[in-house]
Amino acid sequence: MSGLWNDFINYLSSDQFWSILRALVLLIIGFFIAKIISTTISRSSKKWDAHRSMLIRRGINYLIIVLFGISALKELGFNLNVLLGAAGILSVAIGFASQTSMSNLISGLFLVTERPFSAGDIIRVGTTTGEVLSIDPLSVKLRTFDNLFVRIPNEVLIKSEVTTLTRFPIRRIDIQLGVSYQEDLKKVRQSLEQVAAHNPLCLEEPKPQYMFQNFADSSMNIQFSVWTKRENFLDLKNNIYQEIKAEFDAQNIRIPFPQRTVHIDEASINALKQNQSS
Amino acid sequence: MGDDLNHPSHWWGKYSLAQHELWQWQIGSLLLNIRCLPNEWQVAYKQSDESADDENFWRIQQLEEEAQWFENSSRYVFREITGMLSVSPLLADRPVISRPRSPFNIVAGEEVTLYVSTPLWMELGVGKQQKKLTELVIQRPSDTWFGPSTLEGELCYATTTHCRLYLDEIPQRAHRAITPVVIRNQADSTLSVERLNVPAPLLPLYATTSGQLWTPKVTLTRLEHGEMAALKIDKQAPIEAKGAKAIRAPRKVTSSGMLIRAFNAVFS
Repeated sequence: MSGLWNDFINYLSSDQFWSILRALVLLIIGFFIAKIISTTISRSSKKWDAHRSMLIRRGINYLIIVLFGISALKELGFNLNVLLGAAGILSVAIGFASQTSMSNLISGLFLVTERPFSAGDIIRVGTTTGEVLSIDPLSVKLRTFDNLFVRIPNEVLIKSEVTTLTRFPIRRIDIQLGVSYQEDLKKVRQSLEQVAAHNPLCLEEPKPQYMFQNFADSSMNIQFSVWTKRENFLDLKNNIYQEIKAEFDAQNIRIPFPQRTVHIDEASINALKQNQSS
Repeated sequence: MGDDLNHPSHWWGKYSLAQHELWQWQIGSLLLNIRCLPNEWQVAYKQSDESADDENFWRIQQLEEEAQWFENSSRYVFREITGMLSVSPLLADRPVISRPRSPFNIVAGEEVTLYVSTPLWMELGVGKQQKKLTELVIQRPSDTWFGPSTLEGELCYATTTHCRLYLDEIPQRAHRAITPVVIRNQADSTLSVERLNVPAPLLPLYATTSGQLWTPKVTLTRLEHGEMAALKIDKQAPIEAKGAKAIRAPRKVTSSGMLIRAFNAVFS
């Protein structure tokens, strides 16, 4: 028992123990310094957007931890040149083994430099639309409008079409509608312009656009496009359809349902009559 | 003491409301009901369907307690209520865009004065410190975009009225303020004015004894090379508003009275 105790005391007074202790202390100090500096930076960086602030915070955090980690390894007596050489060989091996992760990592770097969107923006990728929570080295995290958490790998974002819905302050709503062939298109146009002029959410400039699309089977198709402030997009979209319907009702303009006109020639009518009489 | 609610000389002022009293402000198309209760203020409003834009009409009246309460209502709860209510006019929180009836040109070296009528908001404050309850637009103007493209520019409000060359042509309305705008063309080429950007958030409000609201004169100068415009806001009421007194500070304060902006941020 006393031999074990003596060994323990000897170990405590050995250089090896003190090296491990110093390395541990360095790591703990590094961790706290990284935390303090990144918190201070995030507090004092109010003029940066959330994305840039997050990147700088994380960059500084990792840099400080890596520097203190290297110092800790040096304290433990590791030869850093050998370590770096080994890391080089290891990274090639890891690179082959983790091609997908590396591809995501590099795609993440491109996303950061290209900045097609930043944290807080609303984006659409394929069929997923949501608010960007964070742009991380391997993936982008989204919160969809039905409150689901979606992780999209950076590689997917680089390869596919991404739409940023909150890039510009104003948006256009395209309203597709069909009116009956009996209607006067001038009157239809005036009614639509009237609706847009009376809705304060509809921007006066850029002016609403009226576009005749085509003569369809049952209706004359029109596209009416109005502009609105980005935040009012949904409100206007909900209101303007109701207002157009109300105005069309007031003006007696009909929105037709699909219909077919059947013409029966004289011979067929006679044949039908003969069948009925027999 | 405050203004007399029974014999008001204008629609803004400081009033003292007794508890459980219900008062209604009717200005333009806005109907606003305010009720003071032991621990709360109740505010309800409605935009009337009838267009009252061409009428200089306003009224403050006491209603029966059981009077119709509007759908858009809010309650503001306080520990203690003094019954002091302040109603004050306020200009728009974004620039206001006005058009002349038809575009006109100002040749090099000339200047012209236009009169622009801009919409007003109504701010409600309570207590001695006039703690803000809410602000309501009297007649909601349309949104509009002012800039060379849909990528570059700013969101503004569009006035429903045209800017005029003659003051007599501007109808005097209780729910709108008049801004005299001087446009100077110091460039070598002719300046075509189709739309005009009035910096409403930077303007204070003045009231004449007759109850008409004015803002100081705004001078827009197209500078020599034509790419920049200088914007200067006077520090006093315009000469057209005789005896006007300052009643409201601007929403945004600028450090200097002169602003230099890109030409297309002021004219189009």
